[in-house]
Amino acid sequence: MNIFAAGGKLAVLAAYFKIILTYRGMLLIHGLRLLLLPMVLASAWLSIEKAPGNPYTDSDYLLYYLLVPLIMNLTDSRIVFKFSLAVKDGSLNRELLKPFPPLLGYLLESIANNTMQLLYLIPFSFAFWLFVRDRIVLAHLQPSLLIFFVAAILIGWLARLAVSGSIALLSFWIEDVTTLNLILNGGIWALLGGMIVPVATFPERIRYIAELLPYRYMLSFPIEIFSGRLSTPEIYQGFATALLWIIVFSVIMRIIWKCGLKTYTAYGG
Amino acid sequence: MPNMNERQQEYAIVTRALNREFRVRLKAEGLAASLRNFFAPQHKTVNAVNDLDMQIGAGEIVGFLGPNGAGKTTTLKMLSGLLVPTSGSIDVLGYTPFSRDHAFLRHISLVMGQKQNLWWDLPPVETFAIHRRIYGLTDQQYAERTKELIDMLEISDCLETQTRKLSLGQRMRCELAVSLLHQPKILFLDEPTIGLDILMQKKIRSFLLDYHRRFKPTILLTSHYMDDVAALAQRVIVIDRGNKVFDGYLSDLTHKLHPEKIVSVVLNNGNFICNPEEGCRLIHQDGQHYRLLVERNRVPEIAARLYATGNIADLTIEDPPLEDIIGQLFTAETRNS
Ligand SMILES: Nc1ncnc2c1ncn2[C@@H]1O[C@H](COP(=O)(O)OP(=O)(O)O)[C@@H](O)[C@H]1O
Ligand SMILES: [Mg+2]
Repeated sequence: MNIFAAGGKLAVLAAYFKIILTYRGMLLIHGLRLLLLPMVLASAWLSIEKAPGNPYTDSDYLLYYLLVPLIMNLTDSRIVFKFSLAVKDGSLNRELLKPFPPLLGYLLESIANNTMQLLYLIPFSFAFWLFVRDRIVLAHLQPSLLIFFVAAILIGWLARLAVSGSIALLSFWIEDVTTLNLILNGGIWALLGGMIVPVATFPERIRYIAELLPYRYMLSFPIEIFSGRLSTPEIYQGFATALLWIIVFSVIMRIIWKCGLKTYTAYGG
Repeated sequence: MPNMNERQQEYAIVTRALNREFRVRLKAEGLAASLRNFFAPQHKTVNAVNDLDMQIGAGEIVGFLGPNGAGKTTTLKMLSGLLVPTSGSIDVLGYTPFSRDHAFLRHISLVMGQKQNLWWDLPPVETFAIHRRIYGLTDQQYAERTKELIDMLEISDCLETQTRKLSLGQRMRCELAVSLLHQPKILFLDEPTIGLDILMQKKIRSFLLDYHRRFKPTILLTSHYMDDVAALAQRVIVIDRGNKVFDGYLSDLTHKLHPEKIVSVVLNNGNFICNPEEGCRLIHQDGQHYRLLVERNRVPEIAARLYATGNIADLTIEDPPLEDIIGQLFTAETRNS
């Protein structure tokens, strides 16, 4: 039985890879979106005069925005778009009647999607790095730091999936959850997650709030680890905060899922 | 205890006092009413399924009939576990459907529309491969069943095309193949031939008959093509506005409600007079083509008289269209209530 179950997961994962390959064009458009904004922001930060007390050097900014597209992609989740569509077009009915956990499918879809994006994000980031490498300092990088970095990306991905998933499941009641998503997962994430302004350069009080909320861990946190700006206790504290949020939102998701299915009328299809 | 077992084997599906209500928001006409509706929405409750009791034996094919909005789809959704009942109980193969235990899901299939089972963005063969894994089929089972279903449904040429690009008929046949790959004990079919041309409808019907003969699944089928139901099911359950109005053999339904047959005759020349005293009524005449409504027991007599004229180009005797019969059932019901 267990072998079958694993086979099922692999088969569904493979299916998501195939779907992404079917729509290669979409992959490229999605990728351009990931690349363009960080490049604009990087050049903006490099060209303006830094405020006194800003801890970030040009090297920090370059490294930061070199990594932003990669982390943005690796922690990305399309569950809001995918799930609300599934409720509308009836494909949720299919997911519900198969001996396969429906929400697990969205997790696998995210793995497939985020992995595929790397196909061109890595070469592009590498090319970008070649271009600016004399201006970036990487002397501090150690294996332990890299392990923390990878773990932080995983945690960030799960946090994003849990927060987005909770919003996505509101599709059971709200016809259009994308607006809500745009505010919570787009706006607040871009501001407090550190896309527009690196979290480390926030004013003290706002930075404190950002470190409490889950958004920092979806983007800024892994980069802060990579740039060697966090002490080990700070790293552990970050992991603990992110894990707590993942647990909280997983519980929220479960509750919404249970209630949602009771109101679900399986209209589409 | 043996009694319990017996009963479970006897019935695949049992519902008791099954109800489902929907709360729907009333639409408002005009700006003022719309505004009022926006701030204080008005609701009404629709009883989609009302106090439904039914028992379906393992291996039976049952046709589920009723006009649009009667509650057929709602019932199928509850039986398959998509929709929670408002009240009442459902037992399908010993499971409560809405819990959607994987053990339960392994034994059923729902075909509702053309993408209940197929992955829309992939060719059908990929859905086959996914199902092989999530239902845990062995290599041999998979090879045998795919071959069998592909042959029976004649779908070898559309397996590699992206599902969204297939024609309606191809998609429906692939949909059926995929839904049967795990050999479900129960097959719920909601309007399986809707939108298909006559030829394709016939193909699907004969496939279902053939498949049922071989594997004996329990089939519950809704259709508004009465031919589907007549071809497949001996037993029918008719519902109207959520209420069960008939449950029994199709032939009983026909006899009870329509004790006449339709005699259709084309004469070479001359004419034919039929009079009501003989149990014969002319319902349509177009030149030499007559359509007569004849009482069942009088049919041989009238047919003999027609032959005696020695003047017949063509003669057929048939039951009135099931649509008319069912329609009559609903008008009768409304009259009674
Ligand atoms: N999701 C839903 N929300 C509100 N009303 C519904 C919903 N689904 C069905 N209904 C209503 O319930 C009744 C039965 O519908 P349905 O089961 O689809 O009928 P049938 O399949 O026999 O045509 C109809 O009045 C329909 O409008
Ligand atoms: Mg229907």
